[in-house]
Amino acid sequence: MEAAILQAGFDLLGDGRPETLWLGIGTLFMLMGTFYFLIKGWGVTDEEAREYYAITILVPGIASAAYLSMFFGIGLTEVEVAGRGMLDIYYARYADWLFTTPLLLLDLALLAKVDRVTIGTLIGVDALMIVTGLVGALSETMLARYTWWLISTISMIVVLYFLATSLRSAAKQRSEEVQSTFNTLTVLTLVLWTAYPILWIIGTEGAGVVGLGVETLAFMVLDVSAKVGFGLILLRSRAILGDTEAPEPSAAATAD
Amino acid sequence: MTDEPSEPVAVLNTYSVVGIAICAVLAAAALFSLPTLQTFGLSFGTAFWLTAGVELVTAFGIAYFVLNLHEERA
Repeated sequence: MEAAILQAGFDLLGDGRPETLWLGIGTLFMLMGTFYFLIKGWGVTDEEAREYYAITILVPGIASAAYLSMFFGIGLTEVEVAGRGMLDIYYARYADWLFTTPLLLLDLALLAKVDRVTIGTLIGVDALMIVTGLVGALSETMLARYTWWLISTISMIVVLYFLATSLRSAAKQRSEEVQSTFNTLTVLTLVLWTAYPILWIIGTEGAGVVGLGVETLAFMVLDVSAKVGFGLILLRSRAILGDTEAPEPSAAATAD
Repeated sequence: MTDEPSEPVAVLNTYSVVGIAICAVLAAAALFSLPTLQTFGLSFGTAFWLTAGVELVTAFGIAYFVLNLHEERA
């Protein structure tokens, strides 16, 4: 029973990796999200809406490429960790996060309409969060891995604190529609992003409480929710329409 | 014909659109580039940080180009 849980998945490629089932499903979900946003955004003329669409289409677009590279084993490496032996590390996951998390934050910053210095600071701390997580993933002793995890988690707390305070108060100056969408997306981000370091620490790269199959499944669910789910909420909202189209019935509303 | 100053109109900045497209292609290609970089003699560490660097730079590039996606013209 325990072994079945730890090895959850199905080896689709026949290369001894049961987690390929979840990586394949992750690729499909990300591709579906990308094409849905692309079709929905085709022909949008509102200036602000175009900006949101450009960002939100690219997030699952690059994530689908990352999932595909992990599916085929390209985004995978092995790290020899003292006392733990050889660990499989899906490094493409981190490369994906380096690209996608700044853009998700940019979506929120555009909603809150904060200045460029605030955007730069937020994205800078976010980059620190991912890079330190990356160093942790490639470290060869558990002490180093946990230390980098701690630094990365502290950086994440700073990012989330920034979202819940500075950006939230800036968003309060905007319309009710924007405030509502911003609050929904911020809660989604706070909840989902908090789950990542928890999953990392109990997963194969940390304490090894759960196996690679369960870990990959959980990361896939988190990634799809944090990227495609985030995009669905944002792009279905009238909050993304700027002043040029705001009084008119929105394209999103009619499409729904 | 009137001499009244016309309202500035925001138009799509072609350079930003091209910039976004280039960044997106680079970011996607970088995710598959590590084995190729290693065949050129780069160690895993060097190839990996190069890939990570491309992802981060392209993300900043996208952010920059999106913030300049429109330009005002009279």
